[in-house]
This record gives sequence, C-alpha cells and structure tokens, in this order.
Amino acid sequence: MVKSERLHADDVEPTPSSAWLVGVAAWFIPGSGHLMLKKWGRAALMGGVVWFAFIVGLAMGGHLFDLTGGPGSSALLQVPPMIADIGSGVLYTVCWFLGYGFADDPTQAARATYEYGTNFLLIAGLLNYLTMLDAFDIAAGRHS
Amino acid sequence: MRHFLVMCLFGALASVVFGAMAKDTPRERWLYGLKVFAQFTVIGLALAWLLYFIPW
Repeated sequence: MVKSERLHADDVEPTPSSAWLVGVAAWFIPGSGHLMLKKWGRAALMGGVVWFAFIVGLAMGGHLFDLTGGPGSSALLQVPPMIADIGSGVLYTVCWFLGYGFADDPTQAARATYEYGTNFLLIAGLLNYLTMLDAFDIAAGRHS
Repeated sequence: MRHFLVMCLFGALASVVFGAMAKDTPRERWLYGLKVFAQFTVIGLALAWLLYFIPW
C-alpha cells in the first residue's frame, strides 16, 4: 500500500453505532431518523412527503407488492417493486398485517387512478430510502 | 388535466426530497428542488407527446 492510500485509510472514521440506530428508525418510521437528530424541519418535510405519498397512493387504490404472485405471474417479478414498497417501513408492515392493498382485485385495477396509486406507493418507499440515507449520513457526521 | 396534476404532484413530492438532501444552503436547495421539479414536468410532457404520436 502506498503512503497516500495508507493515509486515506487512516482518515476514515468508524461509523458510530448510533448512526445505524438512526438509519433503522428512519426506515421503519418515516421522518423519525431526523426527529432523533433534532432536525425538525427536515423530519417534517422529508418524512411528511413519504407519509403523504403513501396515503395518497392507497387512497388512489394503488397496489402493494409482496411475493405471492397471482396465477401466471412470477414471484421473481414481484421482488423489485416489493423492495421499493418495503422502503415505507411501518406503513407497509401495517398494510401487510391488515392485508390492505395487496389484493389482486379486478375492480380496484379498473380504477382510473390505480396505476398512479401504485406508483405513489413505490415512490413513497424509494423516497424513504433516500430519507433514511440522509439521516444516516447526518448521524455519521458525513453531512449536515 | 387530472393526469397532468397527478404528474405534477408526483414531481413535487420527489423534488422536495431531492432538494432537501442535495445541497448545502437553503437557497441552493430551493433552486435545485425547483430545477428537479421543472425537469420532471418538462420531460414528462415531452415523453407523453412522443408516445402520443407512436402508433402501438
């Protein structure tokens, strides 16, 4: 290892364990990571966007994905959107326990807002992943 | 019109998060968020018109 690389490796500070806790909390309850860091504005803004997008998505009749594909559909195809949906944390978990939003109901799929709702649910999870990474970076001191 | 409004809402939600986490100063965040929102809207409209003329 050359000297510059060794110096660079020495510069890297270990991630504090509290940052991991903040990251997990930020994923599970959208906005809570920033709340733990006392970033009230960011918590309201970024967490609020996730909650709003998820609730609007459900209200539009959107579909949540899990591994139980319907007849003729592959479970593998459900994995990428399911990963996006899981990003919503407790919102996804509660719907999963209640069985709300997962049904392959033709009347629900026929709604004009069905596709929009599904995309809002996906974007809620993906935006929460970003929110989680932002909270983690702040907790780790890499970002202000 | 409803489709366009929903697309704008989608772009607004995404651009809020992008803007909040991207830059350093509040002014830069506002500008970046607005830029991302404009990109979502303009590119969405452009793609919509492009797809409109393509006979599937």
